[in-house]
Amino acid sequence: MKANPNPTPPRWATRLLQWCCAPHLIEEVQGDLQEEFDYQLKRAGETKARIDYVRNVFGFIRPFAMKRKNPPTNLLTMSMLKHYAVVALRNVIRQKSFSTINIIGLALGMTCCLFIFLWVKDEKAIDNFHANGKKLYCIYQTTTSGGKVDGIYSTPYGLIYQSLNFKKREDAEAVGLDDIKSFVPEAEKMCAYATGYELPWGHSETFQVGEKIQKFDGSRAGKDFFTMFSYPLIAGDANAALHDISSIAISRKMARFFFSSPQEAIGKSIRYENRIDFVVNAVFENVPARSSLTFDFLINWDSQMKQLEGASPYVLTMLQLKESADPAQVETKLNRFLQTRQDKNDPEKVTVGLWRYGDRYLNSAFVNGKPAEGRMIYLRIFSGVAAFILVIACINFMNLATARATKRAKEVGVRKVVGSSRFNLTMQFFGESFLLSFLALGVSVGLMQILLPVFNTVTGKHVESPIATPSYWIVLCSLMLITGFVAGSYPALYLSALNPARILKGTLRFANSAIWFRKGLVVFQFTLSIALVIATIVVSDQTHFIQNANLGYDRENLVYLTMEGEMNPKYAVFKEMALKKPGIAMVDRSTEMPHAMGFVVDETDGLKNTNTGDDAINWDGKGKNGSVGFKPASVGFDFIKIMNLKVAEGRDFSRAFATDSADAFMVNEEAVKQMGMKDPIGKWISAWNKKGHIIGILKDYHTNTLRETIKPLIIDVKEYEYFGVVIVKLEAGKTKEGLASLEALCKEINPNYPFAFQFLDQEYDKLYRNEKVITKLTNIFAVLGIAISCLGLLGLVMFAAEQRTKEFGIRKVLGATVANIVNLLSKEFLVLIVFSFLIAAPLAGYFMNKWLLGFAYKINLSWWVFASAGTSAVLIALITISIQAFQSAVVNPVKSLKSE
Amino acid sequence: MKRVYLGEFEELVLLIVALLESDAYGVKITHEIIQQTHRSVRLNQVHASLHRLEEKGMITSKMSDPTPERGGRRKRIFTITALGQHTLVEMKAVRAHLWNLLPASMKMIAG
Repeated sequence: MKANPNPTPPRWATRLLQWCCAPHLIEEVQGDLQEEFDYQLKRAGETKARIDYVRNVFGFIRPFAMKRKNPPTNLLTMSMLKHYAVVALRNVIRQKSFSTINIIGLALGMTCCLFIFLWVKDEKAIDNFHANGKKLYCIYQTTTSGGKVDGIYSTPYGLIYQSLNFKKREDAEAVGLDDIKSFVPEAEKMCAYATGYELPWGHSETFQVGEKIQKFDGSRAGKDFFTMFSYPLIAGDANAALHDISSIAISRKMARFFFSSPQEAIGKSIRYENRIDFVVNAVFENVPARSSLTFDFLINWDSQMKQLEGASPYVLTMLQLKESADPAQVETKLNRFLQTRQDKNDPEKVTVGLWRYGDRYLNSAFVNGKPAEGRMIYLRIFSGVAAFILVIACINFMNLATARATKRAKEVGVRKVVGSSRFNLTMQFFGESFLLSFLALGVSVGLMQILLPVFNTVTGKHVESPIATPSYWIVLCSLMLITGFVAGSYPALYLSALNPARILKGTLRFANSAIWFRKGLVVFQFTLSIALVIATIVVSDQTHFIQNANLGYDRENLVYLTMEGEMNPKYAVFKEMALKKPGIAMVDRSTEMPHAMGFVVDETDGLKNTNTGDDAINWDGKGKNGSVGFKPASVGFDFIKIMNLKVAEGRDFSRAFATDSADAFMVNEEAVKQMGMKDPIGKWISAWNKKGHIIGILKDYHTNTLRETIKPLIIDVKEYEYFGVVIVKLEAGKTKEGLASLEALCKEINPNYPFAFQFLDQEYDKLYRNEKVITKLTNIFAVLGIAISCLGLLGLVMFAAEQRTKEFGIRKVLGATVANIVNLLSKEFLVLIVFSFLIAAPLAGYFMNKWLLGFAYKINLSWWVFASAGTSAVLIALITISIQAFQSAVVNPVKSLKSE
Repeated sequence: MKRVYLGEFEELVLLIVALLESDAYGVKITHEIIQQTHRSVRLNQVHASLHRLEEKGMITSKMSDPTPERGGRRKRIFTITALGQHTLVEMKAVRAHLWNLLPASMKMIAG
């Protein structure tokens, strides 16, 4: 090896040293190492010197020589902290109006966030309280027919239960768990729950013990229900609760009504609909509000199939899987099993899937036959909006703080000169924003306590004051920290970066960028607020529209009575007597509630069983694969009159035609269109095993909410069906008398059933509960958004006016009018508002259009929606600005010019 | 004031700093220790020790003028402070006192 004429230490070692040695030590250490290297070089040669050098370098990678921050000068002593607190408080107190604006704004924003947090938490808790929660799945069904894919959580008649005898509906027997286990070994438990007995499709059912009669809402469930789900039992055994067809489980409320105590109820019999006696096997705690299933009693599912007529097609099938089970595999196995049971030639394909039971409530919608967002979207939107409101409030803080920067610049300059580091200043300003956000938090916690009842009425929830829950305090703290941080970040970074020399010399000019930033933030605030206002107008408008739309029938003064007990056999008598009583105008009947017909025959919505039997609807000229989903109903002769429906073609049902009760059908225009019939009057059609002729065409009317398009409708006359409702039309203005006569009559005809009624228009309104909540929430949000933005604007105008006091004074001396000055101040800000509107309008338009797509019948997004939102925003802003502008414009110039 | 104690190695380094007067810096001190005591000492140990002594107020330091043999780098020259001198003297006195108290046989071995 050739000797290096001028040997140097290994370069990598030097680098290593430079990288990790403290900067204030590096020079001497490196010097010493170099000297030592040279010394060793002379004494022991290059190799030894190099090795020695490396050893030395490693020797210096020690704590005492390591690179670290410059030795901290300890400024955060107690006295310094005290000083900061004093300065912060002084600032808050001296600038009363600005502090109030900030605190009110932040408090409102925080309250918003808190409420939304409560709401989201409550929504997410729904169905997620079961101990087995992680193992519980519900089966959903996807049907594919003619390229159309639909999904539903219901599995008709318990698809899986029944698919063992898929083709023979008559002897439908529930399949035991053992059968399921034979093809899905991962299944631990399984049960059905009939959602079809819940409102609005179902109705309350009557129970009797001794003399006590009362109606309760309840349902049917499989026998494993109480062992799978955590509905705590007060008395009785979970395994035995629904073990045979005579068992019934009742709620504490129901037990208290009929029996002295829950324990007392066990083993007692209870009469159902005056027909069957059930034995109380269990009493459960009243179903909590966080359960999406609500029931006061549960009857064994088998009992429904064996003892009771007719079954609701709406059944949830729930599976409890083993801990280790993979839901995807279970899905495959279920489908494989199902495939063997399906008719290969059926154009309709049914597959099933598993969805976590706890997610069912929030994932209420289906996209491409799979559960999708549904309610979850609203949670997201409102969380987002609440966050935006808070951001708007934070922007107020930022804007006011930076606008007032000139006032505090001197302070910053002096602090810097005296030795405050940038870090200290940043911390100081953050501290101040934390102080404000802390004060705001106090206000908002108070506000929340006060407003909680209002919140509960608006959302229809029963949220209790969360003051005692730790998670609430965590949210509070994080909310305060986030708010303080967001609000304080810009002022803290901006003010701490000022150059002290220039501040103190007085040559400091705020860069245009700061002004632009402020303007940008104002635009951002108002864009959000105006977008919220537009959303509010659209949502309220749409809600108003669907609630008051012409449905094609009269919904005033109509009362439903359930067809039960003696009502059906004595219907004719009832009708005759009722018409003689005061206050009653008309009486008729229907198998379905006309305002919310849910049942659909022959459609590909999974009501599989109706497709194969003789129930299918057939008509003159029906093609082979033509499948039209019909909404069927059997009604009385006066149905068309009582509902005030319009007949488009042909004639109404009439007693004058002897054939009408056996042969006549009426359909709506949509049905004619979908069937593809020409000259439909007189053509034959068959339904429910009954062949007849079309006698008339009804004008289309809404048989359900306006979310749904009008579906084909088929009605016939059957004044003997044992189920459905009696429809009574009360005379306008005589509601009280009408109801009194009805009650008296019902007591007479139907003594074993309590008198209960529903108003059609009220029931119809209930279908729009969701929309109402959303309307109220958007209203609140829009008001808050605008209010907070205007607060901020007010602050900025106040500041601008304050700064230009002298200018205005001089202007006035030279002859400017009040109007001139108001104009001068307002123009600058109004331009920003108009600009925000230009951004907000298309943005809001896009999103509201998307929202409206969820409705089959909707309002148009017309120009006036935007125009009114824009003008109202501009007006409100203008008023806000003018108040301040006017104040500073009327000031006597002598005062403002003498102010030094 | 709280008394500050010195370790054995620190005392040695402090003595060497005092001994070298105005020429005490890292390498020099290290070499001096090796020469005088025949102990094998490494640079970093000496640096660490100097660091601690400075913290304890026994020595002060200042940077010298740049020197060519160190690639133009400056040396950190250490000088003993009054406290350092005082401490050394005190330590010596304590030892002398203790030596005096030793039994005669020990003194004989020590010569």
